Amino acid sequence: MKKILDDLDYVVIYAKQLSKNKKLFEQQKRLIEDQIAASSSLFKNSFGKDFKQGARKYLKGIGLIA
Amino acid sequence: MEGYKLEGDIITINRELTSLDLFVRDFLDILKRYSDYLVVSGFVSISTGRTRGTEDVDIIFPIIKKDKFALLFEDLQKNGFWCYQNDDAEAAYEYIKNMQSIRFARTDEMFPNIEFIPFNEKKKAKYFEYSHPQKIKIKDFEFKIPPIEFEILFKEIVLAGKKDIADALHLRTFFSKILKKEKFKEYEPIIKEELK
Repeated sequence: MKKILDDLDYVVIYAKQLSKNKKLFEQQKRLIEDQIAASSSLFKNSFGKDFKQGARKYLKGIGLIA
Repeated sequence: MEGYKLEGDIITINRELTSLDLFVRDFLDILKRYSDYLVVSGFVSISTGRTRGTEDVDIIFPIIKKDKFALLFEDLQKNGFWCYQNDDAEAAYEYIKNMQSIRFARTDEMFPNIEFIPFNEKKKAKYFEYSHPQKIKIKDFEFKIPPIEFEILFKEIVLAGKKDIADALHLRTFFSKILKKEKFKEYEPIIKEELK
């Protein structure tokens, strides 16, 4: 019976390919850049002009700061 | 072309710099004026190719005195970083003094952030990894991480979450040609002490 691949199998397959082929790093770079741009846009729109005040209120709300 | 090469004691990753790398590099460029450091945890896996999102970059440093910390804090603020906990160096140092981490992000940004984690000699595992750094280079960005075998075991034994197990597996697979069994044996008892 054919084995169904799980998340960890994909981690292994990807890491093996990556160690042989640096071109796969380009995909990773795209993911990182997209994540940072999306996060930046989200929080700038959420907190507006007084960024720090809004950010600290949010961070308290999620328990990241006291 | 291969994903990395080991030359002397430096592992060079064959890829372009990302915005995340530049964020860490800018922070380290300031930090290095005041203290030594070690980049640990998620960024070790991500900088070596693990494809997953991240919000924070963990950096450990040996606890420093208040006056030196104040200079570092002001330098970071002057160069475009803000501290989640407080804008005042003295108030932020209260966390450091109590061995609690604080976080920094770029001005008017929330993520990514640096989790800036103090330690002292009582923290055996942290002290060990800090004292045995592995150099990593991506283009002109060189920084220090724990020995890869140490990082793998720490993720597998101490952190042990789903994300950590996947990170460890990535490191085991990606660096399979250069990992040393004797180092795993040497590091395991040090890491298991963390659980006691």
